[in-house]
Amino acid sequence: MSYDQGIEVRETPPASGPLSFRMKITSDPRLLPVVRSTVAEFAAIWGFEAEQCRKITLAVDEALSNVMRHAYKNRSDREIELNCQANADCLEFSFVDHGESADPARFCSQPLDDASLSGRGTHLIRQIMDEVCYQRQFGRNRLSLRKYLPGAKGKG
Amino acid sequence: MTTATREQTGSTIVDVTGDIDMGTSPGLRKTLLESLKRSPRLVVNMRDVRYVDSSGIASLVEVLKEARNTQKKLILFGLNKAVQEVLQLTRLTRIFEIRETEEEALQA
Repeated sequence: MSYDQGIEVRETPPASGPLSFRMKITSDPRLLPVVRSTVAEFAAIWGFEAEQCRKITLAVDEALSNVMRHAYKNRSDREIELNCQANADCLEFSFVDHGESADPARFCSQPLDDASLSGRGTHLIRQIMDEVCYQRQFGRNRLSLRKYLPGAKGKG
Repeated sequence: MTTATREQTGSTIVDVTGDIDMGTSPGLRKTLLESLKRSPRLVVNMRDVRYVDSSGIASLVEVLKEARNTQKKLILFGLNKAVQEVLQLTRLTRIFEIRETEEEALQA
């Protein structure tokens, strides 16, 4: 049983233009399953196969968990904005919070070792997504993730 | 996520059900560490775990370290595709003792 169960996976994205939605959630981990279900459906609608839907869902979940844990220091009453956009060749997710700034080095490549108990979340995000961009602007953190459809031009 | 604990042939088996994420992994960590204190062999049934994130993996790594430090055994079984994928992405497949079935896990 996993998040792809019961989700209809389409072979190609619909031709009727981009799709987007926005969620504002409080930084409460109990909301993570709600977001996971939504993101898994969104990726499936846009033509990603089941395994990729699971991985995209994992990356989004890890990004939200990072905000809750590091930016908001586990306070569960803060606000996180999640924007999801499906373009012709990719899915884009952006996360905006007003918490403490992140160390940009966390989003850079760093070796994993068996003993490490932290840093696996950002490692997973980098492994799964094609583009990862972190910015600190006007007292806000903004993390953007992009995943191209298989065979898309922008895929590096 | 819920857990249930049972004893069988010198092992403690913890049946885990549901999603292991940032909200639920502290509870799993506590249950597994407490079970490990009472048994030389801890077997974790993950057949009904549909999702695990990096915090869940970190909890399992912590329990594995404790098992090694105390000369005990930690064995996982019943991992579905989603859980296996996360272990592969975190490059941790090899550090855990993983079996397909409960019978194999109990014999390991």
